[in-house]
Amino acid sequence: MKILVGSLTILLMLSSFVTAQIEDMVDIFGYFETQIMGTQLDNKVYQLFSNKLRLDLRSDISEQVTFAANVNFITYHGKKEWYILDFLPDKVTGSISDELYPVFKLNFEDEIFLDNAYLKLRFDLFDVTIGKQQISTGTGYVWNPTDVFNIKDLFDPTYEQPGHNAIMIEIPIGYDYTVSGLYSPESDWESSTKMVRMKGRALHFDYTLIAVEREWTFHDYTRLDTESGGFFGIPQKRHLFGISTVGELLGLGVLAEYAYNDMQYSRSFQEWVAGINYTFDFQTYFMIEYYHNTLGKEKSSEYTFNDWMRLFSNEQKTIARDQVYVLIQHPLTELLDGGLTSVICLSDQSVVLVPTLTYSLWENVDVMAYFSFNLGEAGTLYDRNLGNGGMFRARIYF
Amino acid sequence: MKRIITGISLSLLLSGLSLGQELTGEEIIQKVDDILSPNTSYGKAEMTIITTSGDERTFVYDSWSKNEGEKNLIRYLSPSRVKGQATLMLNHSDDIWMYFPRTSRVRKLASHAKKQKMQGSDFSYEDLGSGDAFIEDYQAKRLEDEMMEEKDCYKLELTKKEESDLSYSRMIMWVIKENYYPVVIDYYDEDDPQKHLKRLVQSEFKIIDNYPTAMQVVMYNKTDNTYTKMRLLEITYNLPLDDAMFTERELKK
Repeated sequence: MKILVGSLTILLMLSSFVTAQIEDMVDIFGYFETQIMGTQLDNKVYQLFSNKLRLDLRSDISEQVTFAANVNFITYHGKKEWYILDFLPDKVTGSISDELYPVFKLNFEDEIFLDNAYLKLRFDLFDVTIGKQQISTGTGYVWNPTDVFNIKDLFDPTYEQPGHNAIMIEIPIGYDYTVSGLYSPESDWESSTKMVRMKGRALHFDYTLIAVEREWTFHDYTRLDTESGGFFGIPQKRHLFGISTVGELLGLGVLAEYAYNDMQYSRSFQEWVAGINYTFDFQTYFMIEYYHNTLGKEKSSEYTFNDWMRLFSNEQKTIARDQVYVLIQHPLTELLDGGLTSVICLSDQSVVLVPTLTYSLWENVDVMAYFSFNLGEAGTLYDRNLGNGGMFRARIYF
Repeated sequence: MKRIITGISLSLLLSGLSLGQELTGEEIIQKVDDILSPNTSYGKAEMTIITTSGDERTFVYDSWSKNEGEKNLIRYLSPSRVKGQATLMLNHSDDIWMYFPRTSRVRKLASHAKKQKMQGSDFSYEDLGSGDAFIEDYQAKRLEDEMMEEKDCYKLELTKKEESDLSYSRMIMWVIKENYYPVVIDYYDEDDPQKHLKRLVQSEFKIIDNYPTAMQVVMYNKTDNTYTKMRLLEITYNLPLDDAMFTERELKK
């Protein structure tokens, strides 16, 4: 008994010593987020619940070395299976046989994954970040033509993006310029992503030049690939050359971003974004962003099944050629912000309206709710048949 | 930032004692500006927002300042919701960048953003980072001396110069005669010079590194009936700070 008590005491002492050491070395923080999403479809409201725990670790091992990581634990409840064909107009899905209906399924499965995990090394002349890390490029608030890694959620564009495995070197040149090089490895050098970027600033403007080589696949969602078991698609080289800027003109915040995408096999395309923003004296914030993508179609009658599927699969940012995003935000009280977003598809004259409320309930507890109302005609990008919906989210930071 | 957190040199204090009665508004504001201008500073502050309903939100942040307030860097330490977020303000907050660690994004804001409330507080970015604004952007006129916060004060009216793009049409400032420290500042609306927007009250003066320093600053919002308290937890003046500290590289650290 004495030995057992002694061992337990030693173990407890050791564990508290180790815990204290870890607490000294590693900063542990993150958030818990619970979310309810609802969508009305054919006079029925479907619900999807999710709970997410994001656990962040950060350790500044020295002035030169930082380790950071985060693990996400996510559970889903409610309607976890969604059939994409239910949302698409009949004229688009008409050619898809009924047997293929279950293939076009979105599945929300519980997941645990290491979202980011990287080491940042600071040398006198440059910084190197190695590991899974968030990569963000471009100045657009909603659309980023120069970003080949992420596509933002139109209704929640500031939500964090997933990490990407990469080695990034950033070399400051003076105080105003930075040259970056990125290598995101895949199975071989050829299929890996390479990026070079130069950022600078002058006359109240920041500007960036960027060049990226990335392997890209547009799938044909009407043909099954018997070999892979997935949809047919041929990987090809995508070369992106872009420029972006953000600054101030005549008292207005202005931004612009342009990218030319040279595709190895398919048609090359270009995208650009231009936007302005302003804060009025009465604290109302207004922004408008115009987005043009030559990959998109000029009218809804040209949308194909593949366009829709590539949109849902994040292979392309849009199926329409021209869109406008308008945001008005105002602090209703010190703790409550109200906003109204409207996305107008100029190509097919459809609109979605998204009123938003965010409230700081307590210190470190935020709640947010939005509703989305699709007002477009059948077959348009914001087709009212896509279903109106909403989302409520509570987030507790620790 | 400097207008809130910096102090006065003893020599200026002594010179003020002998010359006070003869000074014009412009001379007084020059002395105010001089005492609020240590070349560099580091501070750790706690900012508490008190809402109309009595709710409180408290932020703790580190801040560094250089070139008499021309460059500022603020990094939040708590609460967890904003921990790691940082704001870089250059050219007297004409250029503002914000860093969001969760998305690893740096966002450049246009100068109109300096009107925005800092983390929902009653301080705007402009209140904290506009550096030499008293001298550069306003014309000072001396009014009749008054007692304010139980201190014998010069009373000044600062009227915005035409070319200035700052958000206040005018300010009324009560300057302690003894040390040229502004104890109270009233801010008036850009479009309506009679509309009283905010009042700043500085108190709990201490001598730190030879600079008298207000350890507590309260900004009262007259429109919303809210107020924000800022308490200095640490402060150091004239420390060596490299210009590299005020770059995007450091912002993302």
